Amino acid sequence: MNSKLSEQPVEIVMIEDDEGHARLIEKNIRRAGVNNPITPFTSGTAAVNYLFGADGSGLSNKGKPLLILLDLNLPDMTGVEILSRVKTNENLKRIPVVVLTTTDDAVEIQRCYDLGCNVYITKPVNYDNFAHAIRQLGLFFSVIQVPAPE
Amino acid sequence: MPDKRQPAFDWTTLNLQAVLLAAGFIIMVLISVFTVFVIDRAAEDDENLARTLAIQDRLTTTLLALRRAESGQRGYLLTQQESYLQDYTAASPRVMPIVEELRDLVAGDMALTRTANRIKALARIKLDEMARTIDMQKAGDLPGALTVLRTNEGRNVMEEVRTLVSQNIAEQANVRAARTEISRRNNIVLLVLTLTGSALIILIGGTSIVLVQRNYRKAEIARQELAGTNNNLERIVEFRTADLTEANNEIQRFAYIVSHDLRSPLVNIMGFTSELEALRQDIFAEVTRLNGELAALNGKAAEADGKVDQLGADFDEAIRFIKNSIGNMDRLINAVLKLSREGRRQFHPQTIDMQALLGQIAGTVSHRVMELQASLDVEALPPVQSDPLALEQIFANLIDNAIKYRRTDEPLRIKVRGRANSTQAIYDVEDNGRGIDAGDHQRVFELFRRSGKQDRPGEGIGLAHVRALVRRLGGTMELKSELGKGSTFTVILPLRWSVNARSAA
Repeated sequence: MNSKLSEQPVEIVMIEDDEGHARLIEKNIRRAGVNNPITPFTSGTAAVNYLFGADGSGLSNKGKPLLILLDLNLPDMTGVEILSRVKTNENLKRIPVVVLTTTDDAVEIQRCYDLGCNVYITKPVNYDNFAHAIRQLGLFFSVIQVPAPE
Repeated sequence: MPDKRQPAFDWTTLNLQAVLLAAGFIIMVLISVFTVFVIDRAAEDDENLARTLAIQDRLTTTLLALRRAESGQRGYLLTQQESYLQDYTAASPRVMPIVEELRDLVAGDMALTRTANRIKALARIKLDEMARTIDMQKAGDLPGALTVLRTNEGRNVMEEVRTLVSQNIAEQANVRAARTEISRRNNIVLLVLTLTGSALIILIGGTSIVLVQRNYRKAEIARQELAGTNNNLERIVEFRTADLTEANNEIQRFAYIVSHDLRSPLVNIMGFTSELEALRQDIFAEVTRLNGELAALNGKAAEADGKVDQLGADFDEAIRFIKNSIGNMDRLINAVLKLSREGRRQFHPQTIDMQALLGQIAGTVSHRVMELQASLDVEALPPVQSDPLALEQIFANLIDNAIKYRRTDEPLRIKVRGRANSTQAIYDVEDNGRGIDAGDHQRVFELFRRSGKQDRPGEGIGLAHVRALVRRLGGTMELKSELGKGSTFTVILPLRWSVNARSAA
């Protein structure tokens, strides 16, 4: 991200209801040297409002370089619902979605990929592993390409 | 409940029917016996009647023949004409054969035999008298012959014969009348009996038909009630099964959600504890640096500060406890998660060659067995229809436990035995390990519970998992064990398990 996207910084939209997790994720992404702006949301509703805009069409974010970091267990709606709505929206469907959650249930993982999720990561409880995984994710962010704005 | 009252009632009805049928049969037999008896009597009566008639006939003909002979004799004596002798010569030789016939007929009857004998004697006297007088006449001695006649001997004899004959004929007539009367009475009795018996049989038949019909109606009603109850029962079972399935699913979901949601805060606790640990390094490095600067300012050599080291040790200890506890909690939560996942797994029953399955498990532990100089013997095992993956987990767990909890003073011996009866397959996993205290035989199957010396790693989920699997497969587990001697875990499974057999489980 720093390379290609430094010219046009990619905004990371983090949808994570647990503020502790959000903080730990942010810390470890930063430790990996990723400096892109991170916009955190603790509820599904707030995130949906931000992504889809006031009219709910997603037009306001069309062509904007975004990356969504999504937790599946949210208090007001499931992450799966947000995923499916993003991936079926004409204006937002190309946004890379990284599912980062505690669930390692095979059926759930399959469902997310079926709905168009790009990466699925299970949060390890062991903190060393967790920190490692997030830093790897940060490194991954630094090399992936997001669709160029039209 | 009707199905409790109904059979008792049926019994009495059935008994009554049996008694009625027996009575009808007995009456029929009685009528038949009596009929045979009466017919026999009638035949006897007929025979007796014929004999009586014959006796009467012989008596009459004897008298007639004698009279005819006598009239011929008298005619000859009166007229001296030979023509009168014809009657005599014709009748006189017939007398004695007829008397003999009479004697034959009355043989066995004392009184009649006496009469017949008397008649025979009289007839002989009469015949002699007649022959004598005729011979006298032929010789020309008519006065002599008339003298013989005048003695009245012949007339007296004839009178006695006549009296005897008429007396006996009357007597025979009486006998005949008496016999006819008895025969008539018997016939009436037979008729009455037959009619009564027939009426009784018709009555019994009617009663039986009524009883059978009533019984049938009752049975029909009972059958309908039973069918209704069965339907009801099936519905109740369906409801209960649905309830159980729902409750079971609920528990599975609950276990999953709890274990899953508990992990979330755990990530935070673990994460920020690690952050604290990292901070501690920074803080203590800073403190050491400041201490050094302070010592330099005061012009003293920097010296190790025991107080700071103590603080660092306390800090490390606290962090270590927190991390260990989190590690434990994480393992427990993972165990619950694993159990809940296993509980949701669908079973796919198939016929399993247990010999091969145990052989496979033995293969995976063979190097450990060799290392320990132990032995694992698998004897002949009956096949079973069940879920192969579940059975593999069950026996792998039991054998793992046997290896894990071995004794150090004796080489480990593990034996797997099997047998089957008509419905169950029974497998024993026997070891000579450290054994389980009798008080803990139930406890070892409980989740997170362990027994004995806690010197081996483990969460206490193995046996709980094994028992849950065995139960889901419709089986039971038994444990025989003595502390310090060894344990035998027995797995009892249904020979044929199908998904429907315990769909509620």
